Amino acid sequence: MDPRESFTIAARSIRSHKLRSTLTVIGVVIGIASVVTFATFGASVQAEVVGGIADSGANNVYVLGQPADEEGFQQALQPVFTEYDLDRLAEIDGVEAVVPRGSIPINAVTHRGDTVALQQATATTPEAVTDETLVAGRSFERGANETVLNLAAAEATFAENVTVGDEITVDRADETWTLTVVGIVNGTAGELPVGNFGPQPGLYVPADPFYESVVESPNANARLRAYPQATVIADPASTLAVTDAVETYLQERSDARQLAPDGVELVARTSGDFAEQISDVIDQITRFVTGIAVIALVVGAIGIANIMLVSVTERTREIGIMKAVGARNRDVMELFLLEATLLGAGGALLGLPLGLAVAWGGTRYAEVGFAFAPFWSALAVLVGVLVGVVAGLYPAWRAARVDPIDALRYE
Amino acid sequence: MAQADADDVVTLSGVRKTYDLGGVVEALAGVSLSLPRGSYTAVMGPSGSGKSTLLNLVGGLDTATEGTVTVGGRDLSAATEGERAAIRGSRVGFVFQTFNLMPRLTAVENVAMPLVFDGWGRTERRERARDLLADVGLGERLDHRPTELSGGQRQRVAIARALAPDPELILADEPTGNVDTETGERIMSLLDDLHAAGNTILLVTHERRIADHAERIVHVRDGVVERIEELSD
Repeated sequence: MDPRESFTIAARSIRSHKLRSTLTVIGVVIGIASVVTFATFGASVQAEVVGGIADSGANNVYVLGQPADEEGFQQALQPVFTEYDLDRLAEIDGVEAVVPRGSIPINAVTHRGDTVALQQATATTPEAVTDETLVAGRSFERGANETVLNLAAAEATFAENVTVGDEITVDRADETWTLTVVGIVNGTAGELPVGNFGPQPGLYVPADPFYESVVESPNANARLRAYPQATVIADPASTLAVTDAVETYLQERSDARQLAPDGVELVARTSGDFAEQISDVIDQITRFVTGIAVIALVVGAIGIANIMLVSVTERTREIGIMKAVGARNRDVMELFLLEATLLGAGGALLGLPLGLAVAWGGTRYAEVGFAFAPFWSALAVLVGVLVGVVAGLYPAWRAARVDPIDALRYE
Repeated sequence: MAQADADDVVTLSGVRKTYDLGGVVEALAGVSLSLPRGSYTAVMGPSGSGKSTLLNLVGGLDTATEGTVTVGGRDLSAATEGERAAIRGSRVGFVFQTFNLMPRLTAVENVAMPLVFDGWGRTERRERARDLLADVGLGERLDHRPTELSGGQRQRVAIARALAPDPELILADEPTGNVDTETGERIMSLLDDLHAAGNTILLVTHERRIADHAERIVHVRDGVVERIEELSD
């Protein structure tokens, strides 16, 4: 039958039961809005985190040991990357710097009479501090009694703010270092993009002379400093080639290969790899939560089915009349299906902006950027329409099967 | 009794209709009848005589258990459900005792409804419905809903609706049963006019006064045709 006429008739019967139709649509609105909210919020968090990682050094190749059966970014803590390895890595074409990173156990740090307990200092090379990361001062020099603090340590740890030129005292089990603060940084080059979600106080010192983890280098036949992790900073144009070369070196000739204990795998990862892994995790969480929201959508669908069944019963006589004046079963089915579909589509069209609005509020609250998820939004509308169709199928089929003779007698 | 005549609009031959309601009930026990084109026939009988069943079979709302029912040359017993719907919509016009108008549609929309299912265009539908409502004297009430119309006006809308697809046959089931006597007379004279204009009418009633409007009366009792009375006026 004429689609415009079907639409008019269906819309009119929806309007003739305003309250009932509104409540039914609200059911669908809640379902669609929940799905859109969680999907959009998930996408926003993902975009924020992944974007953050990608920003922090797309040209970094992270070299680390990893338990062999781990997929994530679990780090093995054995110091296996010797200075011999670091020198070889630095010789690879396209490598700008190699920044090792090791931790030194300490007990406490004192600044102007205020002593704060701190478990570790980070030993690295001057290259870890770059112009981009410096807030004030300069990097430390090799072999000097100098240190660089991050913002959390400089401004939020001691009673008085630490400024460049101040002296701090580091207490260890058996000795005490007096160091001059030469720089304040906000992050360091080659820092792993994960693991530090909160601003932890950080104290950076030159590996020479303070770092003490020393192993026998099989290649150099000498005792050399060794680190659990190093970051190769590549020329941005050749990050991929550098990653491959680093991987090859690690697997074929490195000290680390011989030093690494069984079950530890040496890997070279880019921030893209990390981004992908985190992205996967967030994706799974989003899908899980969105899946729960789908339950609300199912409830909405049941609401439509329920109201349509009531409607079929109430309009039995009208169905009889339509059939008496020439409506085929198909026409009747079409009308009821269209009505259910309109309810579903109405719910989807209202639920989509509501869901987006709630998600937007969520991103403000969580302080992440809002990322529109076009796929999920389109899917939500499509699902709303589908929900109407599916929920309307059985009632419409019932309507089509109404016997006109009985229906016309029906009061 | 029923000879196959090319100019018969309706032919029933040996029609039986049984219902299984816990036991078999025979509503029609072998009825043969034909309605010539342009004729005006009344079917009379007490309730339970089978006259409504007869109307439902001729109107394509129901199918015969045995025998054949032809309307406009189409054998309804051989028709599918969809084909019977098409016949109801285009070849037959129903007028019911309880009007059976769609409560949410206006007079024009009610009259145009058979044409929707018959595939007419929107403008043609409205034009035809307006003309028909004007013919039955409701030209001023086109956009009124059934609840805003009197019983007589509703029945006139229903008659206009029955005429909409220009059917070969008008079936009227106790058309005056729900209106007062005076209104009933006006409706009957409207049917008389339609007959005079060449329409074939089959009227079911239990009132002699109403049946007298027809050319002949078919008396039905216990599912069989008791006698056929030709009226001359």
